[in-house]
Amino acid sequence: MTDPLAIVCDHEHGCITCGDEAMAMRVVRVDEARALALCEAEGGERSSVEIGLVDPVTPGDRVLVHAGTALQLLELAG
Amino acid sequence: MKFVDEYRDAHLGQVLAGEILATVEPGRHYKVMEVCGGHTHSIYKYGIDDLLPANVELVHGPGCPVCVIPMGRVDDGIAIAHEPGVIFTCFGDMLRVPGSRGTLLEAKAAGADVRMVYSPLDALRIAKQNPDREVVFFAIGFETTAPSTALTLMRAKAEGIRNFTCFCNHVTIVPPLKALLESPDLRLDGFIGPGHVSTVVGARPFEFIPADYGKPIVISGFEPLDLLQSVYMILLQLREERCQVENQYKRVVPYDGNPQALRVLAEVFELRPHFEWRGLGFISHSGLKLNDGFADYDAELRFPVPGIRVADPKACQCGEVLKGVIRPWECKVFGTACTPERPIGTCMVSSEGACAAYYNFGRFAREREVV
Ligand code: SF4
Repeated sequence: MTDPLAIVCDHEHGCITCGDEAMAMRVVRVDEARALALCEAEGGERSSVEIGLVDPVTPGDRVLVHAGTALQLLELAG
Repeated sequence: MKFVDEYRDAHLGQVLAGEILATVEPGRHYKVMEVCGGHTHSIYKYGIDDLLPANVELVHGPGCPVCVIPMGRVDDGIAIAHEPGVIFTCFGDMLRVPGSRGTLLEAKAAGADVRMVYSPLDALRIAKQNPDREVVFFAIGFETTAPSTALTLMRAKAEGIRNFTCFCNHVTIVPPLKALLESPDLRLDGFIGPGHVSTVVGARPFEFIPADYGKPIVISGFEPLDLLQSVYMILLQLREERCQVENQYKRVVPYDGNPQALRVLAEVFELRPHFEWRGLGFISHSGLKLNDGFADYDAELRFPVPGIRVADPKACQCGEVLKGVIRPWECKVFGTACTPERPIGTCMVSSEGACAAYYNFGRFAREREVV
């Protein structure tokens, strides 16, 4: 069994719980019918993300994700 | 990654630090509060404090959602977790927050089925996979997290999932700020506004800070240069005797927030008459509960909840830390009886908590100060 303490958010990367922690992720695949997208973080981890709160996204877009929900489409300057 | 690197440029940091130095009036002491735990974390991680002149003090506010959960609510969560057939899900940091009789982690060791999730959607998935069990999600967080809970509840309702409920502890950012501004023992010159809460609510709800209390607020990003620039913008407002809401984080935060997110919040939640905050006491209209349309998904209605108010431990000075009245290391038990491994107070649990952030990143700086 994994050590339950080991699954607690680590202090280097901050806390997923936090009211204000959010992560930029890249959209890989979109499931429009279910308003979900498969997204990839910088480190390569993938997860499904709710996209119901942002304008329609397409693969390659970057979104700001908090607690499994995309809160904002990121416009990349440059 | 360009998006991030350009906000971590050490040379630009030095330039900004120079401008800050040129902006402050010598002999005047400035106290600036960063409202958000994410900012506290960045400030310590990157040593932003060390780049500021000695008379500019950063004070850590109540913006860590884990830190503000009162003990009684943790006890309530644990009571639900011990109900027969329940799978109790929560974010990682919540596992270690002490209630009056231990933590969720200890409840798990004692046999409760407590599981960590990364999102409410994960909790809903567990409910679908375990139709014969009752899955409860311990929802905490500000307006950044609440839309995610709201969407998940809407999904559960639309899909007719009956074995999923939410123990709702969502809070809103404006009422505690008002409470802080009203508190007589507080002297602040300005605020660094929360970046990601504002992606949802926008900058507009903070207009009361300059309008009613005459203090500047700058909504800030999380990278070192974001924070330095925000401090500079606040100091500049003070020097020019302006006070207004400014948005340093325009690349992410629209002035009016995210209207879709605000709409789902309104569809699922209503304000509680009052909600208790650790260290700050009861604050009216500061907490969210599920509205009547979602009553079937409310864990507080489905399970018996003790709802007993528990006073914070005597040794704990989290309230004063959350109000910025004392600095984390000034708490009598900081780093001795209270550490991230064995927290007494909640500020020591989450890495966004002022005490934990200081313990992990700031302790060496403090040692330097002492010698
Ligand atoms: S050191 Fe511990 S008890 Fe003291 S204020 Fe910080 S978290 Fe609370």
